[in-house]
Amino acid sequence: MHPDRRKFLQLSAAGIGAGALAGGLPTLASAADSPFKPEKGASLQLLRWTAFVPSDQTIWDENTKKFSAATGVPVSIQSLSWNDMGPKGALAAQVGSGPDIIMGWNDDPFVYPDKLVDMTDLVDNMGRAHGGWYDNARSYCYDQDVKRWVSLPVGCTGNALNYRKSWVKEAGYAEFPKDLDGMLKLARVLKKNGHPPGFALGHAVGDANSWTHWILWAYGGKQANPDNSIAINSAETVNALEYARQLSETFIDGVAGWDDSSNNKAFAGGKIGMTMNGISIWYNGKKDTPEIFPDFANVTPPMGPVKTPTVSNNFTSAFIFKYSKYPNAAKEYLRFMLDKPQAERWVTEMKGYVTPALKAYADLPIWTSDPNITPYRDALAHAKYDGYNGKPGKAAAQALDEFVIVDMFADVCVNKMTAKDAAKKAEGKLQTIYKRA
Amino acid sequence: MLRLLKIYVPLALFGVFLLLPFLWMLLTTFKSNQELLNTPNPFWVFHGTFSHVTDLLTQTAYLQWFGNTLFVAVASTVLSVFVSYITAYAIIRLRFPGSEVVSTAIFLAYIVPPAILFIPLATIIIQLHWFDKLWALVPIYATFLVPFCTWLLIGFLKNIPRELEEAARVDGASNIAILWRIIFPIAVPGLISAAIFSFTLSWNEYLYALVFMSSSGNKTVSVGMTSELIRGDVFQWGQLMAGALIGVLPAILVYFFFVEYYVAGLSGSVKE
Amino acid sequence: MTSRAPLLARLDSPRVLGYLLITPAAIILLGLLAYPLLLGIWLSLTTATIGKTGEFVGLQNYATIFADPIFRGAALFSVFYTVCAEFGKLLLGLTLALLLNQRFRGYRISRALMLLPWVAPTVLSALAWLWLLDPQFSALSWLLIRLHLIHSNIDFLGSGWGARFSLIVVNIWRGLPYFAIGYLAGLQGISKDLYEAAAIDGADGWQAFRRITWPLLLPITTILVAFSSIFTLTDFQLIWTITHGGPTDATQVFTTLAYQRAISGGQLGEGAAIAVSPIVFMVILAYFVVRSVREK
Repeated sequence: MHPDRRKFLQLSAAGIGAGALAGGLPTLASAADSPFKPEKGASLQLLRWTAFVPSDQTIWDENTKKFSAATGVPVSIQSLSWNDMGPKGALAAQVGSGPDIIMGWNDDPFVYPDKLVDMTDLVDNMGRAHGGWYDNARSYCYDQDVKRWVSLPVGCTGNALNYRKSWVKEAGYAEFPKDLDGMLKLARVLKKNGHPPGFALGHAVGDANSWTHWILWAYGGKQANPDNSIAINSAETVNALEYARQLSETFIDGVAGWDDSSNNKAFAGGKIGMTMNGISIWYNGKKDTPEIFPDFANVTPPMGPVKTPTVSNNFTSAFIFKYSKYPNAAKEYLRFMLDKPQAERWVTEMKGYVTPALKAYADLPIWTSDPNITPYRDALAHAKYDGYNGKPGKAAAQALDEFVIVDMFADVCVNKMTAKDAAKKAEGKLQTIYKRA
Repeated sequence: MLRLLKIYVPLALFGVFLLLPFLWMLLTTFKSNQELLNTPNPFWVFHGTFSHVTDLLTQTAYLQWFGNTLFVAVASTVLSVFVSYITAYAIIRLRFPGSEVVSTAIFLAYIVPPAILFIPLATIIIQLHWFDKLWALVPIYATFLVPFCTWLLIGFLKNIPRELEEAARVDGASNIAILWRIIFPIAVPGLISAAIFSFTLSWNEYLYALVFMSSSGNKTVSVGMTSELIRGDVFQWGQLMAGALIGVLPAILVYFFFVEYYVAGLSGSVKE
Repeated sequence: MTSRAPLLARLDSPRVLGYLLITPAAIILLGLLAYPLLLGIWLSLTTATIGKTGEFVGLQNYATIFADPIFRGAALFSVFYTVCAEFGKLLLGLTLALLLNQRFRGYRISRALMLLPWVAPTVLSALAWLWLLDPQFSALSWLLIRLHLIHSNIDFLGSGWGARFSLIVVNIWRGLPYFAIGYLAGLQGISKDLYEAAAIDGADGWQAFRRITWPLLLPITTILVAFSSIFTLTDFQLIWTITHGGPTDATQVFTTLAYQRAISGGQLGEGAAIAVSPIVFMVILAYFVVRSVREK
């Protein structure tokens, strides 16, 4: 990010007239229809995660400039690594000061719902205008304790299965198996051919959580019941763990020490034939490893006994703090950014990096422009939420942060614990966490 | 031959252990992303590229982060060494009532780790309106620099013979004059030691800078690099390693020129 | 002039000047260290969560964490990590100092270079170590395979003990120069006459080391170990970057766990209790520092 960007955005806000003339007219019109009128003299601070792809930042900044031009509200944007968003949000909530809007991850808003502006009106407004929200949006943004929307759903960085076409073909498969049993057989052949799969089992925030939850849910395993009683110690969980044990026997060495970047490296370096990841592997393959890139493929993760795809993603949403002096300006900004003229371009230019939580954007041509992008469109439709099937909220957030599910799988796959013992151990940890929260 | 065996061979072993990560940084700086992952020999650069260095310098605010870090490190070093010097002098030479208690309290201050402090400290920073102000890091860093520097200087001042100042006192010099004109020049090696120590620690600080600064324009090298060059699960390895190497340069220069003073100063303060 | 002189004289009295001179340090340390520390201790006695003050519950948070196997594991590993790393740093640091204490061609540049690990920003050097410890791309494994010392890549971070020892080695790597430079200072303070006298008495190198060098280095050893232990016991950045406390909580320490509970999980009270608990160990260490300084 350029140091002078903040200044630049403010300057451009000052030159409203010029900006509006230069192509801000249609947006001015739509801004006029909005029920959210920015306060006089408003200015906003947004803290967001550092864009994963350059186009995200470029378009987001351009759209922000358009907003400033249309409304006269300057917006300064600060960004931090996605893993550091949690502490910053926590700090803002605790001390009652900081950015007006934070774009955080997963259950972040549930950790301090009392500190957040009620977003129900904005969520309803946007949902009506853009074909409604995916279920996941409600799970991550509607707080059941305070009974209101505390955050505006933005979307998820979806997950899909990544594999090497030629190696799967070499293993005797014309197309990727649709169910877990088929995938296990394929994994065994891949391993035999020297192209083992690799799924993270260390404390990798994104990668370890995504695949373990997928397997857990695919077998019908649940962390908790809707009344937040613990449900992890079940036959379904044990089956999921048994499956994972067999699958893990085919993994490349060292997955227990993997972090989020490891499978990207291993896949691009040709060390593994299969993994689960966001679109980043595929997206960066084009630039970094062009000669093997055509062999990269992505597919919706195979189904288990529940007979429906189950995907775990990282969900991002934007929340406004009550200490903000300009909550209406903040709402209008978010509405503007996710409104069609802006969001369509934003989503398209990111090429599938963020799957919007508004259903209308699933129809954009970008999702079908390449079959490898399509699974990421569907990631949100197939998604469940952290702590499923319990109540989304603090307890689920904490269980995720403490890697309870990941460690349960690692106990079986790495520490050679029996599936029953691992499920029991996880049950104990979850009981402590849910009692505390 | 014996010298070779007794000095250079063990020294080379130490060198390999201590410098290997830096060799890796150097190699990574000049490797393309592709070569980083696919190479017949990781210890060689086959197709060198300068793009990581130029990207770092032109497409990120690296130079500004560097300037910020330098400013904070120098300012907190000057502040801490000055404060520690007068504190140490007061404790050792003035022996006012309670000086023993003060010196013990300062040592105890050293044992408080930042990881405990930053949430309660944040409340204070907000109340003072110091949030996201670069200079605020200067007094904050002083909290972990002053205890060590004071300890070091107490040791150093203790070993300066009292005869010097007694002679000055006979000539009618005030305590303040002694503090500045007599002791200060002699204490320089100790002060340099303290300064180098402070500079190093503030140059590397991460947690406070991460939590208390927000704008890109106020980030330090460590925070700026990790927050803007780690994009989700995609690390800009070449730029990260290039930035790490460039970030080490000022410290290495300081050490190259002052390491003797540092050792001498430290030596003066640990003498029996 | 005459009216100012008594004022200056009064200012110059040891009592007044003494308090005046320690004021800046007192303001900084009381305001930005002692006060937040007390707040932190207070938090640990409450049920505070992020954004909520909570109620006073006495030592309940401490009772909870001591009953928690993850905390006990973290405490145990913190101490183990500190003891191993300090021992390694002491041994290697002293060896390096003995080497560098000799005059040889290039000793100056060697001294500066050897300090690099301590000087480099920890977050960034941890990233370089991540590559060297990578199960697939480790240049170390590659080299060892080339030298026919091993057959396949070493899985540095994939097992509990592997990850623990890897972290200890990285910690030694970072802290060794601090010991080396401290010992170098200590060695330079030892008079050459002592060695000459010993040589006349017919003592060999090892005897001279045991009878002269080591006893004279003891005070600085106490200080180095105490100061460095505090850093090591509360290490955060290195572990958070390299293992994030994994695999399966094997490398969880006080600070990572406190951070996880308080910041990500929002349980401020419990997180504060975890963060405050190592202070017990540190007070013991500090006691040794204070004592050794007093003895001088």
